[in-house]
Amino acid sequence: MKTPAVLLAALVAAAVPAEPGQARAPATIVDSLGRAVVVPAKVERIISLEPEVTRIIVALGAGDRLVGIDYFLRNHDHLFPLVFPAAGGLPVVSNPAQELNYEQAIRLRPDIIFSSPSEFRMTESIERKMRVPVVALASMGKLADLVAEIATVGRVLDREDRAAALTGFFMSRLEAVRRSVAAVPEDRPSVYLAFWGSLVRTPVSYEPVEAAGGRNAAAGLLPDRFGAAGATVSIEKVLALDPDVILVQGNYLPAERQVTVESVLRDPRLGSLRAVRSGRVGYTFGFWYWWDPALVLVEALHLARVFHPRTAAGPGLVPEGDAIFKEFYGVEGAFSALCRRLGCDEWTAK
Amino acid sequence: MKVRVDHLAFSYGAFTLEIAGLSFAEARVTSIVGPNGAGKSTFLKCLASVLPPAPGSVFIDGQDLARLGGKSRARLIGYVPQEPAFTFNYAVLDFVLTGRAAFLPPFSSPAAHDVEAAREALRVVGLAGFEERPYFELSSGERRLVLVARTLAQRSDILLLDEPTTFLDPRHEVEVMELVRRLAGEMNKTVIVTLHALDMAIKYSDALVFMKQGRVVAAGRPDDVLDEGLLRSVYDIEMGILNVAGRRLIVR
Amino acid sequence: MSGRRNRKATALAVAAVVLPAILFFLSLNIGAYRIPPGAVLSTLGDAVFGGAGGPEPSPYFDILFRVRLPRLVLALFAGAALAVSGASLQALFRNPLVFEFSLGISYGAAFGAALSLVFLGRGFPPQAAAFVFAVAAVVAVMAVAGRSASQTVSILLSGVIVSALFQALLSLVEFFANPYALQSLIFWLMGGLGLATWGDLAVTLPLIAVGVTVLILLRWRLNVLSLGDDEARALGVNVGREKVLVIVLATLTTAAATAVTGVISWVGLIVPHLVRMAVGPDNRKVIPLSAAFGASLLLVADDIARSAASFEIPIGILTSVVGIPFFIVLLRRSGRLWL
Repeated sequence: MKTPAVLLAALVAAAVPAEPGQARAPATIVDSLGRAVVVPAKVERIISLEPEVTRIIVALGAGDRLVGIDYFLRNHDHLFPLVFPAAGGLPVVSNPAQELNYEQAIRLRPDIIFSSPSEFRMTESIERKMRVPVVALASMGKLADLVAEIATVGRVLDREDRAAALTGFFMSRLEAVRRSVAAVPEDRPSVYLAFWGSLVRTPVSYEPVEAAGGRNAAAGLLPDRFGAAGATVSIEKVLALDPDVILVQGNYLPAERQVTVESVLRDPRLGSLRAVRSGRVGYTFGFWYWWDPALVLVEALHLARVFHPRTAAGPGLVPEGDAIFKEFYGVEGAFSALCRRLGCDEWTAK
Repeated sequence: MKVRVDHLAFSYGAFTLEIAGLSFAEARVTSIVGPNGAGKSTFLKCLASVLPPAPGSVFIDGQDLARLGGKSRARLIGYVPQEPAFTFNYAVLDFVLTGRAAFLPPFSSPAAHDVEAAREALRVVGLAGFEERPYFELSSGERRLVLVARTLAQRSDILLLDEPTTFLDPRHEVEVMELVRRLAGEMNKTVIVTLHALDMAIKYSDALVFMKQGRVVAAGRPDDVLDEGLLRSVYDIEMGILNVAGRRLIVR
Repeated sequence: MSGRRNRKATALAVAAVVLPAILFFLSLNIGAYRIPPGAVLSTLGDAVFGGAGGPEPSPYFDILFRVRLPRLVLALFAGAALAVSGASLQALFRNPLVFEFSLGISYGAAFGAALSLVFLGRGFPPQAAAFVFAVAAVVAVMAVAGRSASQTVSILLSGVIVSALFQALLSLVEFFANPYALQSLIFWLMGGLGLATWGDLAVTLPLIAVGVTVLILLRWRLNVLSLGDDEARALGVNVGREKVLVIVLATLTTAAATAVTGVISWVGLIVPHLVRMAVGPDNRKVIPLSAAFGASLLLVADDIARSAASFEIPIGILTSVVGIPFFIVLLRRSGRLWL
């Protein structure tokens, strides 16, 4: 609906260059739902219900301004506690259905609330009940929107310099991956992604695959405007697609995985797939509540190694991942810690 | 089959039924009459075991009704309820066939001889040819006859009919009561009916049982028990008994 | 007159066997992976008579026997289970608007299976918990309805209440399930035959077979029971025992199917009604024909679900989209005496 171009245009139109050392003036931004929101000059107390935005806030160095966090990110996200240990001390302001607890929210006196665009009614409801600016932001899977979102949040939090540095870093590393696989003579492999704990649910659009020089086998199954929404297919469809590579969403604790690489390799129904016969079945990180920007880069690097092993260069995925996470979050060894937690040492060693 | 009531007691809410020392002869039609709320239907339901009687209260040819198993009881007693409400519009033959349930184990379907018994029953009540007609398309009188046919398919020697003439026009009233007489006379059935219409009861019954407030007030042959004093005490109004052209009529 | 009855009965019996068989073989040819009909026949032939089987697993064999066949067999069995249990319950409760859904059986079974999936994992067969809670739902419905005179109305009302209760409990399970398990649960609840493996069917098919068979054996008895409790008792039937038996069987078959397929509703309502419209209410015909046509209906619905679009349409949505308008039409006509 709202293309990144419009978002950026709106930002530019409303921009007032801030002088260093001076807080900026109140600004108007346009959120993912197309709402024009006036954000106050000083945003010191933030409640974020959208995990993607929370991750960006921490990456921008404004994690200390968070006063309330959503249920999923605090209790179930595998990565977030590693990059923001202070999360453990933050109150959870939503229930398992990600609905805001109004009383608690009011007590926390936020200056701004970030909500999820897929919960339109909740966004409206919060605005009505709390008289606090509500900004609905999420990339819905599109990397270009993720970049714009970093810039927007940077503007809201008066951390535009940091935002610019991050987006610059993000885009240049992504471009580097693209370049490294562009020169490869072999074909772009077709990739089937088995996400969300099921063999038959797959995201129709998953941009890291393309960035890493692959092709999403499920592309086009749903009309474009559904974005990264998951399509439900059948086993037979997977057999008909006959992908070169099958990747299972690995962002689960090993004990909680419902689909594993072993189960795919051993599944008697899938024996004729070329991916199974050639053993090109593995894990990848996937996403939960959209992106973590650092993890996107790691994902792209990981996928590039999976699709085009010959392009693998440099220190290895884990050290590179640690470096990327350090750049974003300022913590050491976050990616290694994630790998230990998810048991992904094996899959990233390739 | 003789039906003997030694001591039958049943109560629900404020109402109590208490009947002692009553017998129903075989090959006879006995009518139970009385005002509304006298307990006629309740009495019949107890005899039919729709309301379960206590042990030692009712005896069928010497056997305790309360101790009879469902199938044995169904082979002895056929019950025609007053206002059955059926949901499904079965064909008449399928309806009558359900009377064979007492002869069939749960997992069986009727065999040829069961079907023949049902057809025979329809013939006896005068509905031969009605086999495939849907039940709801029949008139009230015809439906009543179908229910009687069902008891015949049950081969039961005791027939209990609850208000068989209600809502019927005069022609069908007579048809049903004539049938009832024939069943008692020609097929030796013990027929017990509850009736509102005193005239019909007098005309077609061998014996009358007068009930009031859950008790039997009088029982016996019409000639023996019928008098205006009895009628006054049972119905609480003055009633006259007239003899017109050899038939007794009740006037209010 | 009786000759016509017999001829019609024979024709129906033949149709009841032939129709599902034809649909089955047609469905074997439908699927996202194009297999030419000749190849279907030859692969089947090889499997039956031995032969082929080279060094590499043949995709045709895998698709036919490991992917399509379990799915089609499940459609047949689940369709028969839902239709027969719906028909039996309608006869028993003397109300053609009753089916396993309105007695809370579907949601009870779904809740049980969900509980099992979330807390006991995929290793433990969900049919056990599904059956337990389906029975609990039915017991609750009978308890709430009580012994009131207008029993059929009470049954429907209690069914609605108990269904609502189990739906709420189901929401509670979803609420507390960790988000990783939740994804699979929601997906399963939408209803689908696509993930069934022979392993899943090993428990479910025998249960359904037993339940449906016994209900078919009870088909004439249902005529008697459908006259009402008092009537049936007067006719010599042990109403309490036989009613419980029918309810247990209907619950068993529905729970066994629901545990594998998720909630697929309306089949138990539509199929028996269509059958009664065609052949009348005699359960000696209605029960077996409901099995045959329920199987056929679900098979066709699944064919549509998996081939109408490039993605899978959840079958529960298909049956709802057809079933709900149908139910409305039925409701409006139910002022008329029943068939």
